[in-house]
Amino acid sequence: MNVQWWCSARGLPWRWQWTPYPGVWIAVLALGAAYARWSKPLDSGTSANGVSAARRIGGWIAVLLVWLTLDWPGGPLGTGYLASVHGAQFLSLAMIGPPLLLRGIDPDRVRALLDRSPGTARIVGFATKPLFAMIAFTIVMLATHAPGAVDVLMRSQLGAFALDIAWFISGLAFWWPVVLDAPVREHFGPPMRMLYLFAGTQAHLYLAMWLLLADLPVYGIYELAPRVTSLSALEDQQVAGGLLLTIGGTYVLAVISVVFFRWFADPQTDG
Amino acid sequence: MAGALLALPGCGVDAEGGGRSYRGTTLAHALPRPSFTLTDTHGQPFDFRSRTDHTVTLLFFGYLNCPDVCPVHLTNIAAVMQKLPYDVTRTLRVVFVTTDPGRDTPEKLQSWLANFDSSFVGLRGTPEQVRAIEKSLELPPAVADAPDSAGDYQIGHAAQVIAFAPDDSAHVVYPFGTRQADWLHDLPLLAQVK
Repeated sequence: MNVQWWCSARGLPWRWQWTPYPGVWIAVLALGAAYARWSKPLDSGTSANGVSAARRIGGWIAVLLVWLTLDWPGGPLGTGYLASVHGAQFLSLAMIGPPLLLRGIDPDRVRALLDRSPGTARIVGFATKPLFAMIAFTIVMLATHAPGAVDVLMRSQLGAFALDIAWFISGLAFWWPVVLDAPVREHFGPPMRMLYLFAGTQAHLYLAMWLLLADLPVYGIYELAPRVTSLSALEDQQVAGGLLLTIGGTYVLAVISVVFFRWFADPQTDG
Repeated sequence: MAGALLALPGCGVDAEGGGRSYRGTTLAHALPRPSFTLTDTHGQPFDFRSRTDHTVTLLFFGYLNCPDVCPVHLTNIAAVMQKLPYDVTRTLRVVFVTTDPGRDTPEKLQSWLANFDSSFVGLRGTPEQVRAIEKSLELPPAVADAPDSAGDYQIGHAAQVIAFAPDDSAHVVYPFGTRQADWLHDLPLLAQVK
């Protein structure tokens, strides 16, 4: 059995033969352990907030989603064969997983950490500063979808790992100010959050349109991969663009709508 | 894949060929269009030289069970043919010579090629005939791997497509890794060679 620690494009014909990726398991176990710790109420005896069962389950769904995204068969298919699966991986790791995870974290625990560790508070405060997080997320999204970057990074396990981690970390930073109010940002209420989500995902829409409307396959790695489905490389790329546009766009619009209607119903709310 | 190992390096590098800049790999010396006759998928003799004279002819050796190089090359060429102007495609011929005549029956070959483009020509010959043609084109001979327990085997073969221009010479070849954008760039140039 051929063991790789992380998925990478190998140029071999696709086989429906299970392949272990120990690096993925370790990463998902670490994520699950961290989430289990951070989703527990800070002090079950006194904590008034904690997180609802629905939010906690949402966080575990995110962990499951990350696992399914990175492990066999989704991981290798997206890394070396199908741009459409690669697009779904981006949605999962950068757009859907991070906010679900962050919503499942006990905010009291985060506040307590930031209070007792000024260094951590500075780093988290800076990394999740809306302007910085938005620019960083956009840059990561555009850079990691550039054909040159994809074709080079995906060929090595380290490159593919870096790309996955970049999506996830930049996604966490991007969604943090929308989901968590620690550190407190007085001037980042619901209207600003809606604007932030809209502005921060514009590049995503242009990227989706570019994939959807390109005349030729833009990624060599998928164009030259042995076909897995009856879709041509160009059609597969169009599916990727369509996924980013429809699912990604609809998802962001839905989140903006939720923020809006909560704010509309009660202007004092946090969104 | 054994076939891929035989690919020429240098894909995507601009090469000067007769004052034109190709994206394929320019040959150190032009190869003349060969003269040979094999059998097409209708069982008729196909005189390569006379049937492709003064056309842009993409000649490729491979086999139906090839899991990677052959389908990718043919898919990309077929996709690009849909985008090229008629002036270019009307003089374009794609000829596929099987290196596995035992398994690639005329019916299978025709049906398989039609999946890519119905204009693709499939040719069969004896292993000796095919080897002689490969040798004349300075290609390594196709080599079959040992069969597995199910009797299946793969064949290592030259991974480059040889492009003959209307001047009846091949100045450039296209190794595995050639992108659709490269074909789209080079085929109109090849069609203009006089």
